[in-house]
Parts: sequence; C-alpha cells; structure tokens
Amino acid sequence: MGRSWGSMGDFDEFVAGGGIVEPVDDLPHEYRDAVFRFIELHANSELMGGLTERDWIPRAPGLRRKMAVLAKTQDEIGHAHLLYMVAADMGVKSRSEMLEDLFAGRGRFHNVFHYQAVTWADQVAIAYLVDAGALISQQAVFKQCSYGPYRRILKRIIVEEGFHMRHGEEMLLIFAEGTDIQRTMFQAALDRWWWPTLHMFGPPSKPDDVLLRWRIKSETNDALRDKFVQKYATLLMGYGFVPPDPDLHRDAETGRWVTGEIDWEPLKATLANLGPDSARRIGGAAEHWNDTRWVREALETVAERPAA
Amino acid sequence: MHVIETSIATASVLDVLARVDDPEYPGVSIVDLGLVESVDVAGGRVTVGLIPTFLGCPALAIIRADVERALVDAGWPGASAEFLHSPVWTPERITDAGRAALGDGFTVAVQLGERSPPCPRCGVAAVRTTALFGSMRCRSVARCDACGEPLEVIR
Repeated sequence: MGRSWGSMGDFDEFVAGGGIVEPVDDLPHEYRDAVFRFIELHANSELMGGLTERDWIPRAPGLRRKMAVLAKTQDEIGHAHLLYMVAADMGVKSRSEMLEDLFAGRGRFHNVFHYQAVTWADQVAIAYLVDAGALISQQAVFKQCSYGPYRRILKRIIVEEGFHMRHGEEMLLIFAEGTDIQRTMFQAALDRWWWPTLHMFGPPSKPDDVLLRWRIKSETNDALRDKFVQKYATLLMGYGFVPPDPDLHRDAETGRWVTGEIDWEPLKATLANLGPDSARRIGGAAEHWNDTRWVREALETVAERPAA
Repeated sequence: MHVIETSIATASVLDVLARVDDPEYPGVSIVDLGLVESVDVAGGRVTVGLIPTFLGCPALAIIRADVERALVDAGWPGASAEFLHSPVWTPERITDAGRAALGDGFTVAVQLGERSPPCPRCGVAAVRTTALFGSMRCRSVARCDACGEPLEVIR
C-alpha cells in the first residue's frame, strides 16, 4: 500500500520535488527519526504551554480574559493531543513513552516554557511575542512540510494560534495605552522575554540540516528570527517600549534592524532542562499527570466494560 | 433559516454574510456553518441574529465584529449583529458546501446523528472518537480506522 524508494537519493529527490509522504510509506529511518523528534518537541511544547496557561485562568483580570485564557488552554492541550497521535504514528516512541520521558526530565520542550511568568504582563508579553514567534515558525513549516499528517494538522493549529496572537495584540494595546505602572510592568516583562523569544527560533541552522533538506523547515532559523525582529522591533518601539538590547540598531544602508550578539548559553541550559524554571515546570507537569491518573483509569474501565 | 423580511434587501444582506468567513475556518462562511438565524431589515437598519455553536465559544466577539464590519462596508450603516439564545445550534445546520469545505480544507468531519461520519480523507465511515473534546469544545478528537488519520469531528 505504501510507497518505497530504492535509495536515499531517490527519496531526497521525491521530497525535493514537492512530494508529500505518509506514515504508511516505507520511510527512511533517518527521516522518521528526525521528523519524529521535531513533532515530539512541538507536542511537548503545546502540553507544557497549556499547563502554564492554565495557571493563569484564576489570575487573569476579568471574565473576558479568563474566557480567552481558558480557550487558549483548551487549544494548547487539544493541539498536544493531536500532535502526540501524529508523533506516535511514526512508530519511534508510543505516546506514554513520550509523556514518561517528558515528566522524567528526559524530554524536550521549547525554551520559553523553562522560564517563570512573574506577572500578568509576562503573560501579555508571551501572548504578544512568543505566540507571534511560534506562528512565524509554524507558518514556515506549513508552507513546505513534506510529512502529510503533520501538514494537515498544522493548518488547523495555525488558524488557532492566529487567535492567540490577536488576543496578545489586544492586551498589549491595553498596556501600551495604560497607566505609567502598566507601561513599566510591560517593559519589565519585555526585558525578561525578548531574548528567550529570539532563542526560540533555535541556534543558527547548519547548512546540512536534514529538516531543511526534507522540507520540514522551509527557512533557516536565522531567517525566521530576522523576520520576527524586523516586525516586532518596529512595533515595540512604536509603542514606546525598548527591547533590552543596547546594540539593536537599524543598518544605515538597508534600514533593517540588526540585533546585538546573541548569547546562546541560556538556550543550551533550557535544552538540557536546566533553565531557571525547568525543574518546577517539569515537576508540576509530572504531579498533574499523577493527580489525574484516576480519571484515565476510570475512563479505561468504562471503555473496557461491554456495552449494556 | 427564518427570514423576517423577504426582499431584495434581505437577499443582498445574505450575499454579504455569505462572504464572512468563520475565524476558525478561513474559506468557510458563517452562512455555510449555519450560524445565521435571522436577518431583519427595518427602515434601512439591518439586524442579524446569529447563533453560537456553543455559548462559551471564544470567537463570538470576533464573529460579531466581522459581520458588522462587512455590512457597514457593504453600505448598511448602523448594521448590528447579536447572538440569540435559541434555537440551539446543531451540526445539521452546516450546509453541504460547508461540510465539503471543512473536510477538504481542514480535515474536519461533521457528525450527524449517531453514525460515524465519512472520513474527510478516505471517505470510509469508520471514524472512532478518541477524546470528547479537542482544541475547541465543539470538536472531538477521533481516528479513522480505515486510513489511520487523526481527525477532529464537529458535533
């Protein structure tokens, strides 16, 4: 039923020519492994993001914001659910293996979820910057993505992430047009979240990055980061906020923003699950998983019982 | 759909609404999703009655604003849209065109009655629910037992 390719060269050619592959195909295990790791990272990040978001439901100011945060939490958990299905279908790890790895601190998730959101303004910065950055990355994946099931799910995820961004823009405006205290709060949050957001695009891509070769990524990490900087440096400055980068300037010739040198050490720490808030985040997620074990067991019991 | 005043005006309002997409599904109009319940054109003022897929839907304010903007832009100043408390929205309200667009564009199936809907990818009616709620509360997560595709189902 599935297709197969005689050699890696044939497979490369098929994918480079715009071919979309499916889980039933006889995929090279290098492709399977690389794409699996990418989707697992995405799934873990949606789950960790959803849990973080959930913490803010009771603390969000006002009913409308609570509804928005609630909906966003539902989105992230729903995305994680679908992504874990797609990842598990690749046959590398089962869903429970992925979750066990995550809760044991062996899994990976995006660097931005290794930091603590201190105030509501941090949540606004996350919605405004991190969600926008994530959307830029996901759109670039969707544009070319060679793996069919991921591509189809990304289409829905991207629409929903677009909502989160609208929500972020709306909240940013409140802070930008707000009192001095609100503006100070947002600037402090920006100081905390600017660099992690730039890190989120990943370290500079290697020229032989298989994710680029197999059309999972359509642009290098640096190109995506630059896209983000060009748009958001301008917007933030327009609102009178200043990214915490003394070397950020416009190139005299091109007029494009150029950032100062990026320190990659904080990103490396988060990738090793040794970020400032990693232990608490992972521990909290594991605790949540254990606390809800009885619900899963109850559902399994019901599922196993023969229908009356 | 209950149309209070059948006239050329109402028809032209419906024409505008047919071009307002649901923010969740770009390319699928709110008319095809069955969200439009009534159109009232009285003394040149348009009031559109909408019904939500579910009350807690986070997109309601956006849908209302999109409808009002589209109508004002189409030459109906002061047009307003409101969400009605009845009737209750059901997936049966989605038109055939809407079902096709959801399936082709978003791999989303529509549950009508108790039977499995056809899988939007392979067409086989072997869609099995794996979780009652997906990323939206109006959608469940399912898998097609025939082609293996992870799906979402509007129900």
